[in-house]
Order: sequence, then C-alpha cells, then structure tokens
Amino acid sequence: MINVLFFGCLQDAAGADRIQSDFQPTPADLIASLATEKPALAEALRQPQVMVAIDQTMAGLDSPLTDGCEVAFLPPVTGG
Amino acid sequence: MDSAVRSAYVRIGREDFDVQSEYLALRDQGEHQSKSGAIVTFTGLVRDAEPDRIVATLELQHYPGMTERVLRDIAAAATERWSLNTVRIIHRTGRLLPTDQIVFVGVACTHRAAAFQGCEYIMDCLKTQAPFWKKITTPEGGEHWADFKVNDAEAARRWLSGRSSR
Repeated sequence: MINVLFFGCLQDAAGADRIQSDFQPTPADLIASLATEKPALAEALRQPQVMVAIDQTMAGLDSPLTDGCEVAFLPPVTGG
Repeated sequence: MDSAVRSAYVRIGREDFDVQSEYLALRDQGEHQSKSGAIVTFTGLVRDAEPDRIVATLELQHYPGMTERVLRDIAAAATERWSLNTVRIIHRTGRLLPTDQIVFVGVACTHRAAAFQGCEYIMDCLKTQAPFWKKITTPEGGEHWADFKVNDAEAARRWLSGRSSR
C-alpha cells in the first residue's frame, strides 16, 4: 500500500488531496497505474515541472518506493 | 561546528506575527547576540491584485513536516554562507486578506552586507523551494491556483552563480 498526496492544482486534477494505491515499484509506475481510471490526472502528474517527494524527501520518477511509504506530487511552489 | 550552535526559528501556522516582537527576539535572544551589529527583516504582505485580476482572499496550503524541514535547510545554508547569528522565519497558512502579513524573515549577524544578502537569499529560496501553494479567490467568487513566477526562479538562480558573500 502506498499513501499518495496531492498539493495545489494537482488536488483539482485528482479530485482529492490523498488516495491510497496498491504497491508500485516507482512513482512512474504509480502514475501509469492511475492512467486508466484518471488519464487527465496522470497527464498532469507527468508534467516536467511537477516534483515528487518520497517520505517528505525530494526524489525522482524512477526512485524506488517501499510498502507503506508516502508519495507526494508537488506542483511549482507559490509561497511567500 | 560553529554554525550548528547558532539558532534558526521556523514557524508555520495561521497565527499572525508582530514584527516588533520578532525584531526584539533577533536582537536579544541567543548566545551570539552581543556579536550582532546588524539586523535585517523582511515582511511580505498579501496584495489586492495579481497582474491580471483582483484578489479577494488567498488560501495558503503547505506540506506539514516537509515545509518546515525545507525552511530549516534554507536557514542552515544561509547561516553557513553568511555567518548569520540568528534566523527567524515565519510563514502563515490558511485564509488571508489583502494587506495581511504572510511571511517574515529576519536575520542578525555581524555586519550589514551579510545581513542584507542573507535575508534576500532566504526569501529567494523560500519563494522557489518551500512547499507552499496559494489559491486565489476573486471578488466574483472565482478560484484558481497562483502561477509560479519565472522571475522568482531567476532571482533564486543568481545565488548559484558563484556570487560570494562579502
């Protein structure tokens, strides 16, 4: 099981701020697994400016996931 | 390591802040304070207009845990690079109105040049790295997420180009 978090505009694309997913080896695999049901979300997550964090540390689309981990998709930040 | 004992205060939350209290904390707290000859503070406010639309309210979202850590890392990098004695960073979340205070950065250190640069560096990095997102509501009730600004990225990048502290 993987806990998936969405922030900013990605929450609109996902229709939720968090979901649970079956285990996937990498964030790229996770996006692919979402593509069937939510193609627009998968496309939004694949935008090059979207960043991925695994357990609150910046990671890549090919970084390994572990069972029970937290994966967050972060659109470009707009604080301050 | 000397910088390890120097302090950074990071707070994220809905509460407002008082600039005078923050200034006094920069001046009076911490074991290095008698060495500080300069304090620079920055306060960011909510504007009532974006380039193309009027802003009624802002809703600030962050990633609890990760945002605090990113701000601490930025403060640590600035402390190391400019030998800052104290850093205070406050960022508000939740619903904010035009003229509300949204962010505070204050630094104390020996000389003014490092204080100015350290404070500006922290703000530039905060704008481009810290996980915060703004949702804008217009007077008509329309909602949209704020766009990332290219000039914020350029401002942050110039610190990578080898410009050194004085």
